[in-house]
Amino acid sequence: MNPLRTLLGGLWRIFLGMGLTLKTFFRPKVTIRYPYERRPVSPRYRGMFYLKWNEEKQRLNCVGCTLCAQACPTDVISMNKVGKGTTAGVDEFVMDLGRCMFCNLCVEACPFDAIYMGDQYEFAVTEKEGSVLRIVDLAQGGPENARRNVETLMRLQAEAAEKGKPGESPKQQARPAEEGA
Amino acid sequence: MSLEPRTDPNPPTAGPETPAKGPAIDAQALHQEILDLGTQGMVMNMGPQHPSTHGVLRLILTLDGEEVMACEPMIGYLHRGLEKMAERRPYRHFLPFTDRLDYVCSLANNLACAQAIERLAGVEVPERAQWLRVALMELNRIASHLLFLGTFGTDLGATTMLLYAFREREEALALLEAITGARLTYNWIRVGGLPDDMPETWDEGVLAFCDLLESRLPEYDRLLTDNPIFRRRTEGVGVVSSEDAKAYGLTGPTLRASGVAYDIRRWAPYEKYAEIDFDVVVLRDGDTFARYLARRLELEQSVRILRQVFDKLPEGPIASKVGKVLKPPPGIAFSQVESPRGELSFTMVSDGSPNPVRVHIRAPSFANLTVLADLVVGNKVADVVAILGSIDIVLGEVDR
Amino acid sequence: MIAQALENPWIRQLVNAAMLLAVINLGVLVLIYLERKVAGYIQSRLGPVHVGPRGWLQSVADAVKLVLKEDIIPAPADRFMFVLAPFFVFVPVLAVFLVLPFSSGWVAYDFSLAALYVIAAGTVAIMGIVMAGWGTNNKYSLLGGLRSAAQLISYEVPVVLAILAVVFFAQSMSLVEIAEAQRGFRWFIFQPPLLVAAFVYMIGQLAETNRTPFDLPEAESELVSGFHTEYSGIRFAMFFLAEFANTFFASALAVVLFFGGWDGLPGLTGALWLVLKSYVLVFVLMWIRWTLPRVRVDQLLGFAWKVLVPIGLIVVLWAAASVVYAGGVAR
Repeated sequence: MNPLRTLLGGLWRIFLGMGLTLKTFFRPKVTIRYPYERRPVSPRYRGMFYLKWNEEKQRLNCVGCTLCAQACPTDVISMNKVGKGTTAGVDEFVMDLGRCMFCNLCVEACPFDAIYMGDQYEFAVTEKEGSVLRIVDLAQGGPENARRNVETLMRLQAEAAEKGKPGESPKQQARPAEEGA
Repeated sequence: MSLEPRTDPNPPTAGPETPAKGPAIDAQALHQEILDLGTQGMVMNMGPQHPSTHGVLRLILTLDGEEVMACEPMIGYLHRGLEKMAERRPYRHFLPFTDRLDYVCSLANNLACAQAIERLAGVEVPERAQWLRVALMELNRIASHLLFLGTFGTDLGATTMLLYAFREREEALALLEAITGARLTYNWIRVGGLPDDMPETWDEGVLAFCDLLESRLPEYDRLLTDNPIFRRRTEGVGVVSSEDAKAYGLTGPTLRASGVAYDIRRWAPYEKYAEIDFDVVVLRDGDTFARYLARRLELEQSVRILRQVFDKLPEGPIASKVGKVLKPPPGIAFSQVESPRGELSFTMVSDGSPNPVRVHIRAPSFANLTVLADLVVGNKVADVVAILGSIDIVLGEVDR
Repeated sequence: MIAQALENPWIRQLVNAAMLLAVINLGVLVLIYLERKVAGYIQSRLGPVHVGPRGWLQSVADAVKLVLKEDIIPAPADRFMFVLAPFFVFVPVLAVFLVLPFSSGWVAYDFSLAALYVIAAGTVAIMGIVMAGWGTNNKYSLLGGLRSAAQLISYEVPVVLAILAVVFFAQSMSLVEIAEAQRGFRWFIFQPPLLVAAFVYMIGQLAETNRTPFDLPEAESELVSGFHTEYSGIRFAMFFLAEFANTFFASALAVVLFFGGWDGLPGLTGALWLVLKSYVLVFVLMWIRWTLPRVRVDQLLGFAWKVLVPIGLIVVLWAAASVVYAGGVAR
């Protein structure tokens, strides 16, 4: 009777497995219909970068100290610093996300609360250049804030120059951001 | 707690006159028999593009009908020179790169690398960070083992298992995302601790997940472990004896399935594993089913560890102060971590400069893969997939 | 005029066949949709939802895609065999449908040896699969083709034995008469020997239709896609169509042989009952497919010859004995 028992026992266990799949058949489904529905991401989600906008001071928090660039293992970040001391800022900030590992080290390195990673995670592009982000793409609030940041910086520099501080070298003077560059 | 000696007193010498023992069928005799008949084996290339080589492994199989006469694994399709990369950048800059080793369980790589640097630089890790590291390890181990259960089911044709395992893995990944902000390449262990504390109520989420997983484990058993077809496909297939397992340098569940109780968490406890009560899953059979079952049972142990972590988690700082530029004194440091695949160890050599002089990574998948070529000989093509799946390799780690 | 033309037996058979072809193809599209939905639901997913309401048009979209795809014949393939193989698989499946009675009178062609014809015609498909495996000149395909040959030939035996047991009870080889013999809920499944026969038949058909746990010829994790690895576009569609048509036929034949054919509660047409019961069986086949892992080739053949064939032989003897004991079945 042993072979018969093996056969029937096997069938019974197959039947138990099939019972499970039938039960799942009537259970609620876990599918998220992605482009229409989205799973909420965690507040710590490491998605698209942004440079924090300071509404009060009408400028980006970034002062161009390059600590983030130094913390980056893959040399993603480069920036153009303008001004110095309290008027320091950036008029260009370039991130080549094609090299980025989204490791969070730049965010942790920043002492000025300037660079963050947001919750946006769809950044597929159709050409290689598309993964190189400029300040207009990175500034929180969009290109408008990138432009206003430069205006504020120019104003601050002008005020500093009026106060009779030592003049700045011409290359450090702020240029208006190139729109859509 | 029973421990096997670290080193085998009589390591078998590899050479043409002493063929590796292990597979039940004498491969060379079989091969010779076929050569005597004057027939040629059919050479079949399995991979690097193949549904079940788990990445970019390439197996050159010589077949006699359905039977495998010889198997030659070809690796290196994913080689990125990570060890060399480490020599060209400061210590801390290498941590995100370790995510790309074993991308299924990247926190274990982070931890092994961070531990090596900590030992090199003499950095202490706060208590709370150590406990949280244990929690992260085990949660990641669960995610990794669930991936194994699913893909192993798929390798054997039980596609549904993949979806069931991924359903629960998704919950684990959501928890990991809540604390680390990433779903796969976490990079959440730093020299001297963790970058941030756990979010509020994260522990409740983890405990709820533990309950969920425990309620689902019997389902996996009904679907796969108890299935007679699954048993027939795995039991007695690809048996590794405990002597062979040690001789090949296998680690992790692949080794423990062969009856060797070697688990770094118990043998050389790191972080807080010494204060945690858990069983090392050891099985005797050494076959494909035992390797599957070892991982399946480890899930339960991981749940057990997770529960203890949140019982004992102390308050306190999450990281110790480490200088901005890390310049460890000249020396050599070694770290071992029990990753889901086995013993993962980093050896780092410092000459006092900000960059390491040499980094060596002992990847468990690489060591475990060595047994494959001898194990599959004499088995059927379908068994190659089953055995390869049961060894649970990750090619990112094999090729480095 | 049309009525006159239909008097001609040749034209009538042709019209019947054409209608059948349309019904089969439509049925297969429904089946493919059903398979995806069942697979999805079993796996805790939704299955297709995007094309059309609740994904109803997914199969149509797939069919359009397959037809529009480029027809690729690999350079090292044996062109003649490669091109011919899908027809060898597809045509026999259509051919067996000819004798499938949907209801009394609703049969394209009924003759006294229909049960034998079903077995004989169905076997031709093996040749097509071997041709595809060999003609592709791909090692995965070759292994798939040879596995398939071994598998189909082995499982043909228990299926034939199971059908034989039914023939004993019905005292006829005509499918119409077999179904008629079960009128009034005297379904053959209720006869103890035929219950076992139905079990043997269903397992055999599971293997013959290449479905998990017996989907070795196209074992995805081992042989990539088995004998149709290199097929694409319309040629692949023919294999696909044949597989699903075969699944439906196997279930419909099971209904005719064991589950009373078009016998059912009054209120619905007989043909509808048959189709309904067939779909239930198809669902069971899908359910099995998405639950079980795949067996290995030696276990597959071992199971056929060491388990199913002995059971089949016992069933045949048992059926014969019970028919003789009862002095023939009441008909």
